[in-house]
Amino acid sequence: MRSLVNLIKRYGEYVFVAIFVVLSTYALGAFLTAGAANGTILPLQASREAVEIDELFNVQFWLIAFFFSLIVVFMLWSVIFHRRRGEDDDAPGEDFEGNSTLEIVWTIIPLGIVLALAVYGGSVLSNIERRATDALEVNVIGQRWAWRFEYPESGAVSSDLVLPVDRQVLLRMRSDDVIHSFWVPEFRVKQDLLPATFGDEDNTRELRITPTIKGDYKVRCAELCGELHYAMLADVMVVEPEEFETWAAAQAAECDLEAADCGARWVEQYGCTACHSFDGTQVVGPTWLGLAGSQVLLDDGSSVLADEIYLETSIINPNDQIHEGFQPNVMPVNFEEQLTEEQIAEIVAFIQTLGE
Amino acid sequence: MAHTTDVRDTYAHKLGNNRWGLWLFIISDAAVFIGLFITRFILLPGQRPELDQTIGLIVTVMLLASSFFMYRAEVHMRHGNLKAFQRSILTTLILGVIFLLGVVAVEWQIAHFGPADGQEGAIFYVMTGFHAFHVLTGVVLLYWVYNNSKRGVYTKEQHWGVEAAAVYWHFIDVVWIFFYPALYLIGTVA
Amino acid sequence: MTFLSTGFVRGLIAQALGTLAGFAFVTGIRALSGLEPFDPVEPALVSGFAVGALAFLFGVGVFDDWLKWTRGISTSDHQEHDPEKPWWYRYLSVDFDHKVIGLQYGAAAMLTMGIGGSLALLFRTELATANVDFLEHFIFGQIFGEDHTGASLFNTFISLHGMIMIVTMLLGVGALSNYLVPLMIGANDMAFPRLNAFAFWVNIPGAIVLLASMFAGGFDTGWTGYPPNSTGYSAMGVSLFMLAVYIVGFSSIFGSLNVIVTIFRMRVPGMKLFEMPIFVWAAMATAFIQLIATQFIGLSFLMVILQRLFGMNFFDSTAGGSPVLFQHLFWFYSHPAVYVFILPGLGLISELLPVFVRKPLFGYKWVALSSLGIALVGYFVWAHHMFTAGMASYLRVPFMYSTLLVAIPTGVKFFSWVGTMWRGKMRFDTPMLFVLGSVVVFLLGGVTGPPNATVASNLHLHDTYWVVGHFHNTMFGGFMFPWFAAIYYYFPKFTGRQMNEFWGKLHFWLMVPAFLVMSTYQMLTGLLGMRRRIAGYDAALGIEGYQVIVTWAGFLIFFAVIIFAINFVVSARRGEVAEGNIWKSRSPIWQLPNPIPLHNYERPFRVVGEPYDYGDPNGHPYVDLDPSDDAPDEPTTPSDSEEQQAPGGADPAPAPTGD
Ligand code: HEA
Ligand code: HEA
Ligand code: HEC
Ligand code: CUA
Ligand SMILES: [Cu+2]
Repeated sequence: MRSLVNLIKRYGEYVFVAIFVVLSTYALGAFLTAGAANGTILPLQASREAVEIDELFNVQFWLIAFFFSLIVVFMLWSVIFHRRRGEDDDAPGEDFEGNSTLEIVWTIIPLGIVLALAVYGGSVLSNIERRATDALEVNVIGQRWAWRFEYPESGAVSSDLVLPVDRQVLLRMRSDDVIHSFWVPEFRVKQDLLPATFGDEDNTRELRITPTIKGDYKVRCAELCGELHYAMLADVMVVEPEEFETWAAAQAAECDLEAADCGARWVEQYGCTACHSFDGTQVVGPTWLGLAGSQVLLDDGSSVLADEIYLETSIINPNDQIHEGFQPNVMPVNFEEQLTEEQIAEIVAFIQTLGE
Repeated sequence: MAHTTDVRDTYAHKLGNNRWGLWLFIISDAAVFIGLFITRFILLPGQRPELDQTIGLIVTVMLLASSFFMYRAEVHMRHGNLKAFQRSILTTLILGVIFLLGVVAVEWQIAHFGPADGQEGAIFYVMTGFHAFHVLTGVVLLYWVYNNSKRGVYTKEQHWGVEAAAVYWHFIDVVWIFFYPALYLIGTVA
Repeated sequence: MTFLSTGFVRGLIAQALGTLAGFAFVTGIRALSGLEPFDPVEPALVSGFAVGALAFLFGVGVFDDWLKWTRGISTSDHQEHDPEKPWWYRYLSVDFDHKVIGLQYGAAAMLTMGIGGSLALLFRTELATANVDFLEHFIFGQIFGEDHTGASLFNTFISLHGMIMIVTMLLGVGALSNYLVPLMIGANDMAFPRLNAFAFWVNIPGAIVLLASMFAGGFDTGWTGYPPNSTGYSAMGVSLFMLAVYIVGFSSIFGSLNVIVTIFRMRVPGMKLFEMPIFVWAAMATAFIQLIATQFIGLSFLMVILQRLFGMNFFDSTAGGSPVLFQHLFWFYSHPAVYVFILPGLGLISELLPVFVRKPLFGYKWVALSSLGIALVGYFVWAHHMFTAGMASYLRVPFMYSTLLVAIPTGVKFFSWVGTMWRGKMRFDTPMLFVLGSVVVFLLGGVTGPPNATVASNLHLHDTYWVVGHFHNTMFGGFMFPWFAAIYYYFPKFTGRQMNEFWGKLHFWLMVPAFLVMSTYQMLTGLLGMRRRIAGYDAALGIEGYQVIVTWAGFLIFFAVIIFAINFVVSARRGEVAEGNIWKSRSPIWQLPNPIPLHNYERPFRVVGEPYDYGDPNGHPYVDLDPSDDAPDEPTTPSDSEEQQAPGGADPAPAPTGD
């Protein structure tokens, strides 16, 4: 009897601690994984990649739960039960200086765990990079602080990303100025856009995504790209394939509307609205409300009439004349290459409809 | 208060400290040159800037020769041969200055590109510039050592300044042994 | 008027004049060569601040002795002190005593922490609401110039917060290793006292340049300063910021060189490497990282400055350069640097735990070597910051493996700490509370590392607040809390008094819970889609409530530190006098009187036992401060005779086994 008590005294402690570690791991792990599943910890799981990655997250949440519990439970146990109780300041604790077997054990076991994690992580990575043969190609161009999406198949251009559901999309990305990063939290994957000119394969990067749930999401630029980095968003719409086809066809079609209405379309597609408003609010660039026909104060003190010529040069060569109170070198300087002369004229016509 | 001397206060021990310090500094400094070396091959793979081979060869020979004289200088110092020491160190110094002039005053002027001209320009000027800066500090160091030797600061036994200058000078030389082929020999002209 | 004659003030004046001179020089040359003298103003500004920093160093006087040496004049080994001067005079002037330098580092660290922390509160207030409003307030326009918008001010603030806090940690690491290492190994000073002073003072002009960047247009780049944002698009504040980092880098390089030589050459005769206090191992591993890696951040930032000033193209990919190359060079420093921040802190945890648990450190050798292991592996993992950056994608998997391996030596430390705590007799004085807090918080930081390191999950986590939470956990757990533990613990050593326990405990119980709340909600918002470095966020994410919590927690941390600061000042003047070895430590430091006498140890001590043998109260002490007394006929150190030569470097003190 006596020896049993001693035995419990000697080893019972470990049993209790082990039980607490298990309980704590379970509580923490279950909490995290449940949160991940019901969307309170991770966003909606809207792509095939997200499914794979969330499984990996679950494994990692369990690992976090286990190792955190392991250390903290042992520590708290010592704090609660192995404290000094009314003894001398220098009453000694148990005198052991180490144990090589233990050290080897807690080197080898974590080593095994991280290697397993790495192998698993590697396989998830290769799964999400798997190529589908019928992938839809989209060129993604980032510029401070707007997104543009070009669909080579149909010739559509848009500042929204519209995607057919359940079909892999191959995003080929480059930036016009600084590094940006393409991220839709619901899709889980992210890729930086390096500055590159059109057709520069060395600096074009790829990302593959298969959206699985119809709905509206947002591309959120994830690399600090200057002042309006926070506002560098684009709408993502995942729709039925048929709906996508009609949308793409409409975007690609020649514009056969009135000049100003076409202009309104280009302004949307080329991301001017990231910096210019139509309603008088000042964003990064001057508002277009009441611009055409007004006297524009320039930063050298002079003023010019905002006529057709002025508007056109402002688009082609924004740094020529700087609107008082605005920064030079902010508006992209490459619209002359991106837009045809006709498109520019149509944009000017559109701006004029907002004039006085 | 009992004032004790322990080993750590002896000249021999301090000399040892200094040697450790110098070598650690050189390891650290070498890291920059390694960084530049890697940068060069990443930005200009398989190519090299178009440079005047004759000048490159001349300055390289000058620097290698200077290292030899630096070595002689140190040997003379160890033998207590002050006059010969001063002669050798002056030679080293002059060869170092010729190297500097060859790179900065000649090669930089006749090169077909400026620092702002593409990768060649950027790499060539940053590598030679950084190295030249080190040569310049080396020359200053040599001059100090030369000057101090005239004041009789160094003896056969105690001449840490000379040793330090020599190690530093050889280091600069070794760096150039890597930089010269990297800039002048490896790759095709861009 | 003593104050005006301190080296510090002279340095400041010299820096101001030097900055003007450097500025005038470049504008003058430009004017003479027919260029517009003030447009662009950046070259003149950069050269001005560079010259100014150098001028500070001349003004403060760190070069004085070296200049004498170059002219063949030798200087005395011991610095003269004017007893007429008030006590603080030494602290504001060049002083070679490692204890003074350590405290100088420490004071500078607290100062920068205050500035960096206050910036955090400013931008946290902005983040309490989804829109950009607070920083749009006209006051900020008044201070920073009208052309600052709220968003760019926000970017400047987070970037400076990051860099200033990193400088804080580097200063703190300097404080710890300078103050503690010589004392722990029985040296009376560092190997190169003058170099030591230089390494400290170079931080001051550096910090000034860093802060000046805020008023030179700021910079929208984050502390990482990636081109081409930093080269072609950001305001010129970025040049000053990078120049400042370059200047401060000298401190790391020369400071670490000094630490290494001190550890290898200045140990008391007879102390073997595996007999050193464990903190010294941590300091050594830290120094190995700083010595080599620092050069790479210097190089990468220098190249950005060169590209900005002279148009040398390294990083513009549309013209053949490579922005990814910058990231490689940058992270080759900045990853190992994170271990610079924590290794001394972890060393302190290992150092203090045994004292308060009254048990030997579990697995001394393993803990010692794990520091070196972390430092070594840390050199091979840098690209885990670049998984999404567009580097060659076949590199991602090897870097995932190497990164995950860091968990092994770090794990050894944790398990050894638990082994140390197990079945001890724990006491909970304030330093111990902070040690325990560090363990939990750093653990949280550590275990949130592997999800970052696994490429597939990193694709989601990169550049989100999850990462922000991860690194605040690691840095508070690995640096901030150990740092406070060290101050509470060693306070008597430099003041002769003890810090007030009540206020210390209040500091702890405010700061640690507040911190845990802050970092937990940071990580949560990150998982939900909160990006880093954004001035305003999408209210549709539904995280506004969490953001408010983070902001409040940030303010609580700030108040906790204020309590600490008041406690510090009051205790230093009126605290309870601390006599002798108040923590009952075996460390040689605690065998010295409080405060520590000017030249540390009167004579070299002798190592007679093990550093952490707390379990056996009747065993040997660790050191014998007065070896000549009890072993008169056994000359263990050459100190007994004035003329004695170095005994061939051999180990003169046989480990006494049974006397
Ligand atoms: C003090 C600083 C510090 C420390 C110690 C660490 C430690 C670690 N860090 Fe962290 N990190 C930072 C500071 C730090 N980090 C900073 C500042 C950034 C952001 C930089 C920026 O972009 O601004 C960052 C970012 C960062 C990234 C990039 C994220 C991104 O931007 O995409 C990654 C990716 O791998 C990473 C990984 C790790 C890992 C694996 C560790 C490991 O060392 C952790 C090891 C510890 C443990 C694992 C816990 C204890 C171990 C056990 C109990 C054993 C068993 C455990 C297992 C088997 C899992 N960190
Ligand atoms: C040691 C490092 C350290 C510390 C202590 C802190 C402390 C804090 N940090 Fe910071 N942080 C970083 C290092 C650190 N941070 C880094 C490296 C970044 C990345 C930057 C980047 O992205 O580029 C970052 C980024 C960062 C972000 C992300 C910004 C973004 O990307 O959008 C946030 C957001 O919440 C944040 C918040 C805070 C808060 C609220 C505190 C609070 O704890 C602050 C509380 C205040 C204090 C601790 C100071 C109190 C001191 C005094 C009052 C002085 C007293 C005087 C004496 C004693 C003399 N930090
Ligand atoms: C990144 C932000 C940004 C984007 C995108 C942008 N602009 Fe601008 N724009 C500015 C800024 C800033 C100014 C004011 C500085 C100046 O006068 O150049 C400006 C000025 C102008 C002006 C002159 C207006 C005035 O009041 O003087 C016109 C016209 C104009 N932009 C048209 C466009 C068009 C068309 C597009 C898209 C095809 C576009 N901008 C896209 C930022 C932008
Ligand atoms: Cu684009 Cu951030
Ligand atoms: Cu890292």
